Amino acid sequence: MDLLTFTYSLKDIPLAIAIVDLDLYVKDYSISWYKKFGITRKERQENTNIKSIASIPEDVYHLILSIINGENSLIENFECKNDQRAWFNWKISATKDEDNRITGAVVIADDITEKKKKEELLIQAQSVAKIGSWELNLTTNQIYWSDETKVIHEVGLDYIPNLDEGINFYKKGIHRETITNAINNAINEGISWEKELQITTAKGNDIWIRAKGKPEIINNKCVRVFGTFQNIDKYKKQQIAFEKTSDRLKVATETAKIGIWEYDVKNDNLIWDDNMYEMYNINLKEKNTKGILTAWKERLCNNGIQNDIKDLSTTLDVLNMFNTVFKISPTGDEIRYIKSKFTTIEDGFGNITRLVGTNWDITQLKVSQLKLSKNEKSFKGVFQNSSIGMALVSLENTWIDVNDSICESFGYSKDDLLNKNFQDITHPKDLTKGFDRLELLKKGEIDNYQIDKRYIDKDGAIVYAILTVTAIRNFKGEVSHLLTQISDITSRINAENKTKKLNTVTKNQNKSLLNFAHIVSHNLRSHSSNLSMLTKFLLDENNEDEIQDLKRMLKDATESLNDTVYHLNDVVQISTNTEDKLKSVNFNNAIKAVQHNISALIREKNANCIIEVPTDKKVQVVPAYLDSILLNLFTNSIKYSSPNRKLEISIKVKDINKTSIQLEFKDNGQGIDLVRHGKKLFGMYKTFHTHKDARGIGLFITKNQIEAMGGSISLTSEVNKGTTFNLIFKKGL
Amino acid sequence: MNKIERACVIDDDPICVFGIKKILKKVGFCNEIIVFKNGFEAINGLKDLLKQNKPLPQIIFLDLNMPIMDGWDFLEDFIKIPNANRTYVAIYIISSSLDPRDLEKVKEYSSVTNYLIKPITSEKIDTVIGEYLN
Repeated sequence: MDLLTFTYSLKDIPLAIAIVDLDLYVKDYSISWYKKFGITRKERQENTNIKSIASIPEDVYHLILSIINGENSLIENFECKNDQRAWFNWKISATKDEDNRITGAVVIADDITEKKKKEELLIQAQSVAKIGSWELNLTTNQIYWSDETKVIHEVGLDYIPNLDEGINFYKKGIHRETITNAINNAINEGISWEKELQITTAKGNDIWIRAKGKPEIINNKCVRVFGTFQNIDKYKKQQIAFEKTSDRLKVATETAKIGIWEYDVKNDNLIWDDNMYEMYNINLKEKNTKGILTAWKERLCNNGIQNDIKDLSTTLDVLNMFNTVFKISPTGDEIRYIKSKFTTIEDGFGNITRLVGTNWDITQLKVSQLKLSKNEKSFKGVFQNSSIGMALVSLENTWIDVNDSICESFGYSKDDLLNKNFQDITHPKDLTKGFDRLELLKKGEIDNYQIDKRYIDKDGAIVYAILTVTAIRNFKGEVSHLLTQISDITSRINAENKTKKLNTVTKNQNKSLLNFAHIVSHNLRSHSSNLSMLTKFLLDENNEDEIQDLKRMLKDATESLNDTVYHLNDVVQISTNTEDKLKSVNFNNAIKAVQHNISALIREKNANCIIEVPTDKKVQVVPAYLDSILLNLFTNSIKYSSPNRKLEISIKVKDINKTSIQLEFKDNGQGIDLVRHGKKLFGMYKTFHTHKDARGIGLFITKNQIEAMGGSISLTSEVNKGTTFNLIFKKGL
Repeated sequence: MNKIERACVIDDDPICVFGIKKILKKVGFCNEIIVFKNGFEAINGLKDLLKQNKPLPQIIFLDLNMPIMDGWDFLEDFIKIPNANRTYVAIYIISSSLDPRDLEKVKEYSSVTNYLIKPITSEKIDTVIGEYLN
């Protein structure tokens, strides 16, 4: 009866319960068991063995066996998972008869799958989130750390923590203090905590963790503190880095006066940062009454963009105008330049959700730019229009630019000149002049230098210049190129040379005038002294014969005086200022004419004249002087011809240079002792031969005449061999 | 009055030579007067005298400005004549030149006794004789 009742009641027990005999055949079971393990009534009747139920793990079967066989305690709690991933808590206890003999076992399977799944999930979640858990039992003073907590601390899974060690993992200082206080507060005041702190792991790594703690209070007494422990190092470090970056960005934007705006397209919401408001001089009141967009548009100067802007949701084409520079007037009187840039942010479907942009006040930059361009313009103006030749020269000595003035000085077109370099137009003798200073300049050791230098213009003429070279430096302070200024002083130098020449002429004239004065005084005096002496004799003389002699001599003396005055007159006639009297004369014709005039003399001497003068040679002379010079040379050769040989005269003409022509007049006469007479050759009244016609006036006049025409005379001679005169004339046109 | 044996005049100007000869003759200072027309003739003439074993003239009146060889060149050549008596020869420059450069130049020649500026007068010759006799 009892058993029946029990059996009946077993079926209704809301537990999966079964009774097995010693052979593990299921003797009875509850409906719940049936539902869990699917045993049919029919199967029961056929004595279902628990071993044959697939969904019951083998471990359970062995456990029951060990209990029945008395190998294990009589009641056992066992959790295990079956093949259908269902979790059961198995409670097995032996059944005994009156004689206390084991008759079988009661098996209860408590379905803990839900609970187990939650637990597993939690563990998984903790592991994924790197969240560990911990517990401090204040009754036992023991600490429990979950595996993840141990992993975070980088200790082994077999590590057994204690309170002191646990706290000592926190970094010394604020971190350790904070956690100590938090634990104390939890224990004493019952306050929970959540802190982000740094620990130093067992391996010595500093990491950020988030520690949460919660006290459990029973009877006003804290019995337990438990909580979670999370590794937030990566996140924290990112956050710290981000904070630093954003701090930096903030400082940067504030310092650089960069305003940032953001427009949320979907919600039609425009946000400005403080810099924007400051830049546009919009205060909070204006913003609230007018709205940002209106206030902003009011401050735009006429850039032609206001009309296009209805609101910020205009098309991108219009918005692209903001990638530009425009003018604004924040206060109404002052104009400022704003450089604007923006970018769009899209959602995953290509729709623009946000616009983020910057405004940058570049007024200072713009003003500098304008100034610079003005400076550049004025430099360009100076450069191009300067009367001084100016050129920009690279460090490799090539022209970068030249101005008109320099082109004019050298006679080249700008293009021609740019195809040459400095050295190409420098006078060969001045090529390396100033190079030492140029090197110093290029090295940046000096800033400029100035030298005189000669150049050659397109026509080959010398250009005298004062060269000033100045180093131009780039923003780094390095010499980038050179500014050279060339003051053409050719006309000045030419004038100077002319003056020098004139001065020399004047000096020579002065000298010859002085000599002439002496000559005059000496020659006139010799006559006057003779006259004076003779007249004195005449006065003192009584003898009539003597008087007649004296009178005759007096007459000779006066005649000599007359001759001398004539000679001096000839000399005086040689004007040194002959420029305007010079004429271009055919050299050959002039020589032939003189030869013809004295042909009688030549014939008488039976002289041989060889005249090799090209018929096209011309000389710039005073014709009368040329005649006089040639006549003098011919008569000298004839007068002082050697009595021992037939006179030969050879006349040759050759070009010396572009402007001069040389006449070589050679004879085979007596020659002149140059050692003895060299210095007196061209003096007045100097004679070197005992010829009766020697008057010592011819060469003196010849020299004066040729020098008056800008020429010169020199000679070589050897006694008894002959004399060669070399005369230089100006070339005729 | 002491007379000297021989005086010499070197000058290309015949009038001047005439004048000096006339004055010297009038004073009767020397027995013989020899005349050369330029320095070249004079050097040769004096050398001829020595060849004939005749003494050099005690006084030479030398013009500066002459053709062929002037007075200066004569002075240069004269001191080269190998004769011990040469130092006893008194040379008087006679010139119409008032050029101070000539006067300075004369001082460079130790063989020159004095410088007479033309015209030569009997007074100037008297002074020369006075100097010579002293």
